[in-house]
Amino acid sequence: MRILIVLWTLSAQLVFAATPVFTQVMPDHRLTFPADFGAHPDYRTEWWYATGWLTTPDHKPLGFQVTFFRAATATDSANPSRFAPRQLIIAHAALSDPAVGHLLHGQKSARAGFGLAYAQVGDTNVKLDDWTLKRSAEGVYQTRIHGREFDLDLRLSPTQPLMLQGDNGYSRKGPAPGQASYYYSAPQLRVSGSVSRNGQRVLVSGSAWLDHEWSTRYMDTRAVGWDWVGANLADGGALMAFQMRRADGTPLWAHASLRDASGKTTQFDNAAVQFKARRHWHSPRTGGLYPVATELRTGSVVWQLTPLQDDQELDSRSSTGAVYWEGATTLTRDGKPVGRGYLEMTGYVKALKL
Amino acid sequence: MRLSRLGSLRQLSCWLLLGEWRAYPLRALTAVAAIALGVALGFAIDLINTAAYNEFSAAARSLSGQADLEVRGTQPTFDERYYPMLATRAGVAQASPMLVLDAAVSGQTSPLKIIGVDVMRAAALTPDLVGVPVADRPFDTLADDAVFLSPAAMAWFKTRVGGRIKLRVGTNSVSLRVAGGLVRARAGQRIGVMDIGAAQWRFQRIGQLSRVVLKLTEGVNLMAFKSALARATQGQLQVLQSADETSRSASLSRAYRVNLNVLALVALFTGAFLVFSTQALSVIRRRSQFALLRVMGVTRAQLLRQVVLEGGMVGAVGAALGIVGGYALAATALHFFGGDLGGGYFPGVQPALQFAPLRAGVFFTLGLAVALLGSAAPAWEAARAPAAQALKSGSEEGALAQLANPWPALVLLLTGALLTLAPPLDDLPIFGYLAVALLLIGGIALMPRLAGAVFRWLQHLPTTHAITTLVLSRLANAPGQAAIALGGVLASFSLMVAMAIMVASFRVSVDDWLSHVLPADVYIRSAASGNTAALSPAEQAMIARTPGIARVDFMRLTQLNLDPARPAVALIARPIEVSTAANALPMVQTVAVPAHSLPIWVSEAMVDLYGFSPGKQVRLPLAGQWRDVVVAGVWRDYARQFGAIQMRLADYRSLTGDTAINDAGLWLQPGTTPAQAIARLKVLSFGAALEYAEPGEIRTVSLKIFDRSFVVTYLLEAVAMVIGLFGIAATFSAQILARAKEFGMLRHIGVTRRQVLGILAAEGGLLTLMGMAVGFVLGWVISLILVFVVNPQSFHWRMQLHVPWGLLTAVAALLLLAAVLTALIAGRSALSGSVVRAVREDW
Amino acid sequence: MLELRHLTKSYTTGRRVLNDVSYSLAAGEFVAVMGDSGVGKSTLLNLIAGLDSPDAGAIIVDGIDMAALDDNAATQLRRARMGFVFQAFHVLPHLTLQQNVALPLLLNGADLRRADAMLEAVGLGGRGADFPRQLSGGEMQRVAIARALVHRPALVLADEPTGNLDPDTAQHILLVLRDELRSNGASAVMVTHSHAAAATADRVLILSQTGLRPA
Repeated sequence: MRILIVLWTLSAQLVFAATPVFTQVMPDHRLTFPADFGAHPDYRTEWWYATGWLTTPDHKPLGFQVTFFRAATATDSANPSRFAPRQLIIAHAALSDPAVGHLLHGQKSARAGFGLAYAQVGDTNVKLDDWTLKRSAEGVYQTRIHGREFDLDLRLSPTQPLMLQGDNGYSRKGPAPGQASYYYSAPQLRVSGSVSRNGQRVLVSGSAWLDHEWSTRYMDTRAVGWDWVGANLADGGALMAFQMRRADGTPLWAHASLRDASGKTTQFDNAAVQFKARRHWHSPRTGGLYPVATELRTGSVVWQLTPLQDDQELDSRSSTGAVYWEGATTLTRDGKPVGRGYLEMTGYVKALKL
Repeated sequence: MRLSRLGSLRQLSCWLLLGEWRAYPLRALTAVAAIALGVALGFAIDLINTAAYNEFSAAARSLSGQADLEVRGTQPTFDERYYPMLATRAGVAQASPMLVLDAAVSGQTSPLKIIGVDVMRAAALTPDLVGVPVADRPFDTLADDAVFLSPAAMAWFKTRVGGRIKLRVGTNSVSLRVAGGLVRARAGQRIGVMDIGAAQWRFQRIGQLSRVVLKLTEGVNLMAFKSALARATQGQLQVLQSADETSRSASLSRAYRVNLNVLALVALFTGAFLVFSTQALSVIRRRSQFALLRVMGVTRAQLLRQVVLEGGMVGAVGAALGIVGGYALAATALHFFGGDLGGGYFPGVQPALQFAPLRAGVFFTLGLAVALLGSAAPAWEAARAPAAQALKSGSEEGALAQLANPWPALVLLLTGALLTLAPPLDDLPIFGYLAVALLLIGGIALMPRLAGAVFRWLQHLPTTHAITTLVLSRLANAPGQAAIALGGVLASFSLMVAMAIMVASFRVSVDDWLSHVLPADVYIRSAASGNTAALSPAEQAMIARTPGIARVDFMRLTQLNLDPARPAVALIARPIEVSTAANALPMVQTVAVPAHSLPIWVSEAMVDLYGFSPGKQVRLPLAGQWRDVVVAGVWRDYARQFGAIQMRLADYRSLTGDTAINDAGLWLQPGTTPAQAIARLKVLSFGAALEYAEPGEIRTVSLKIFDRSFVVTYLLEAVAMVIGLFGIAATFSAQILARAKEFGMLRHIGVTRRQVLGILAAEGGLLTLMGMAVGFVLGWVISLILVFVVNPQSFHWRMQLHVPWGLLTAVAALLLLAAVLTALIAGRSALSGSVVRAVREDW
Repeated sequence: MLELRHLTKSYTTGRRVLNDVSYSLAAGEFVAVMGDSGVGKSTLLNLIAGLDSPDAGAIIVDGIDMAALDDNAATQLRRARMGFVFQAFHVLPHLTLQQNVALPLLLNGADLRRADAMLEAVGLGGRGADFPRQLSGGEMQRVAIARALVHRPALVLADEPTGNLDPDTAQHILLVLRDELRSNGASAVMVTHSHAAAATADRVLILSQTGLRPA
């Protein structure tokens, strides 16, 4: 579940002569690997989204986020130019450090082409100038980000099998059929690598979560935003939950899945998933009011979500038009810490027009 | 009331100055006005040109934005495969590709500059070139039917956001939606921005780029990077720094700007001469006053300072007025006519006048300096004069005795002549201008001697007429005073003659040239301007098959960048044969070339600027490769100042694969009229899109453009002439006033009032005639310098000399009339005073 | 006060005009120099003024040898110690009478108020703002006399001061000159053709080829 305002708006806008026809997401579709690790240019939107917690040599926690979006535009297929903006690659990266107090972030976008920016089919291999995310044959993801405020150079190694979301990777997003995506996660990734800031490089290690999701129709028109959480549990389990919100804040669609340490997965549908605000944070920059501390209920289980720091808002209105809160979050159950993950909240500053 | 010594001297200066000005306010005002006018013109022209040039280069620079470097090809576009190579090259932080086109617009004589950008790349490097879409369509910047127009372009198309504009492609047109504006475009800058992919597609430039702008990572050595990149691309790509861009856009108009500035300074020079004659005469008149001051204890240095101060005050007041006036003049001109002074170098530019304290300072100093210079010699003479003799009247002519020394004048003339042989300095004919100035000063300096000789000779002609005798003997025996009056006539007339001969030579040469380069019966063009309209081979065949057409010469016009720091060179491919090239082109020189070589014919500017001399083997970058060609001839080109190359169309096509053409010349079969042929072509499917012209129309339009570009020249000339006339008037009236005694005596001994006026008219007429005769010779010599040195060195234009006798005669007659009238008017006022008093009063 | 010692002067044409001219002028003494035309009377005045230099001999003014002075020093001496009256008046036409008279004061950096007093003294009181063109010849020469004495010079040189005036006016002007010389304590050398004029001087000297001799 990820922030896609840009891409959606774009797709809606680019209606010119010969609009390409995108493949629809259908149930009963089997994901095949490694091919499905790669890009799916026939679908309108796609993203690879890695989030995780890192520990510095002096045992301080850092949160990180690396995202590569691919968006197919409605560019006229008759345009023979290699510059025709058929596919756009957009990348966001953020670093969350309580010592800084707010997010450090970087973003880039480009049209795919000329080997400068691409999302390749066959296996995960996405590039935007010198920002890369690539999966090796052994399944290890390598990502390099050269932002203005920080550099990331991370290896994400799998320790568990993939987690196919929804119905074997078919993930419903709304009440209407077709409002769905293909979606799998790679939880409990072991992270090693380095983070550089102000010319100082420190070695880090930690754990991460990677989502890969592609779709053509994503969001119901009544939805104004969503809340999403993905967390690695300390016992080896993994939790993913999201809700699509209406303008009045009530859920339009919700889903969660919980895989325990033994590998048994439980799915929770709409009524079984509840997000409840515990504490709000008011953004001095955008005026957004975010429920940064949340209570999440999946079935009978109640999780308390507490942010690493309150200010993890990312304002990219100038470039992509989106403001969202995307932050490192601790999960507790019955007052005991049980896991760490990322919480994403969209549509709190301005309703998303899709 | 005891004053300090310094204070008293200042007060004395003040008394003398005010006394003089109170007595002769008009003369002081004339001198002030002359300096003011000269300074104002020079300053205004400089301000306008500077404003236009700054605006022009700022607009050019805005295309490369914050980039460190700009990479472009040797032709207007280059292969896009270089783009990833540049973007991933070590040291490059950001790269933004661009496709820049001059899109032809039907019915318009100027194109719209279309810039295709990758908006995501451009945002960081050239933010000025990012369109502002309407709020609910943020991604129109990627749309393939959208264009973002600058305010000037919107006004030009009379459209707004949501409207559509049509641009020519080939013989068709493409309709684009105006999706938004370019808020940071400069005033008057007429550009449109669209997606680069859409631009490649819509304008049939698939796979081509015009430039890539680069931002380097910090710490990369710019020069090293630049040279390594040039090496890596074997010179097919040129790497320009913003300094190169500046020098390129500077050289586009530099010769023109300098020429205009020099012309404006001519007016100032005439003003300086006026100050000289006013001061000289005033010093002569006050000779005995100064002598008295010397007797009473004023030192030489004090007297020198006093006279220089008078000139300095005239200069300072005139220059200050000139600065204010020039500023107002420039503001007015910019408001009503824009920045282009008719030369066509700054089309569409709407510059804002900038206050330029430094330039104002320079022009103020110039005005002051010429005034000081003008009073230096008279001041020196006043201080040097022996006081005892000077106290006696009648010693005026003695004061001018050393003016008759011919040697300084001859040295000036000789130096001037030698300077004409010097090559241009930094592409400008500095020595040519200097030669003109030296000849002029030398000519003026030689006048007393010359006038004395001529009038002495005239004096010996047998005459019994008293008045004639009086006139001739005065002119012969007081050549110094005569010469001062003559100098003004000489300066303005010789400059007028020089300019008239130069412009006439140029115009006649252009006219001849036009008839040579337009041999066909009908000309067609794909569009009046721009580089997006063209005719395909199929369309060419259709034209050739049209009944009534005997022969078609197709022409491909494109551009080559041979030197990053110079404007592009025109490349013209057309059917020419080595054997008949001399008929097809206005050839000035041909050489035999080896049979197997590729011949090219270059314009004279190519020889001057690139050393493409006849017979030389040179290399041209064509379609990404260096090709060896041989210069088979040099032809005259008045259309392209920065060089043009012609080659055979067949050679061009086989080297580049480019089969499109822009222009064609049609020869009609006997019995077919141009109108019939045009009518038949217009019914072709693409026929309506073409531009048709007969040679006569092209010629008329060309000459009209020519004349327009010289309007400012004429204007400046006229002002110099008027200042020259001022000078004559001031000199005459001063001399006549000084001679009131003499006339009083003549009246006493029985000369009638009418006869005295006759004397004055005859003297004025004879002096003016003399000045004009010498001025004509001097002007003719100066015109030779203009035609054969200044023009070839500034514009690389060579021409035949042509003297416009009719015009010169008319102006001469006018000047003569003005001079005689001036003498008469001054004489009448001099004679109105009391005759008795005039005789009795010593001075 | 002024001492001429064996002055000799020839024109560039070679004609000798002054030949062994010697004379010693006492302070306050007013002498008239007469002689035939061309005998060198004006030349003698020019030599005394330092406007020209003798071929031989010396001119001592206030104990200073004029020959030892350069142009600047001679000018300074002239400015401070001498006054001049000319046959052709030489009044600056574009300055007021007051300004004309004040010129020597200005040049010497002295108090300008004495100019009005001098105009008063020569009988032109209250006309300081007039311009010379409003004056008659006699009035013009009064201005010249006022100017010659305004800065209290030790020596006044007068060259045919009455040459352009009618006899009545001339006589009157000479009296003014003499009175003013006396009241200012100045010596004077006056060159003149007129015996009447010469008669107003304390002594009359005759300049000839053989030198300067008492009449």
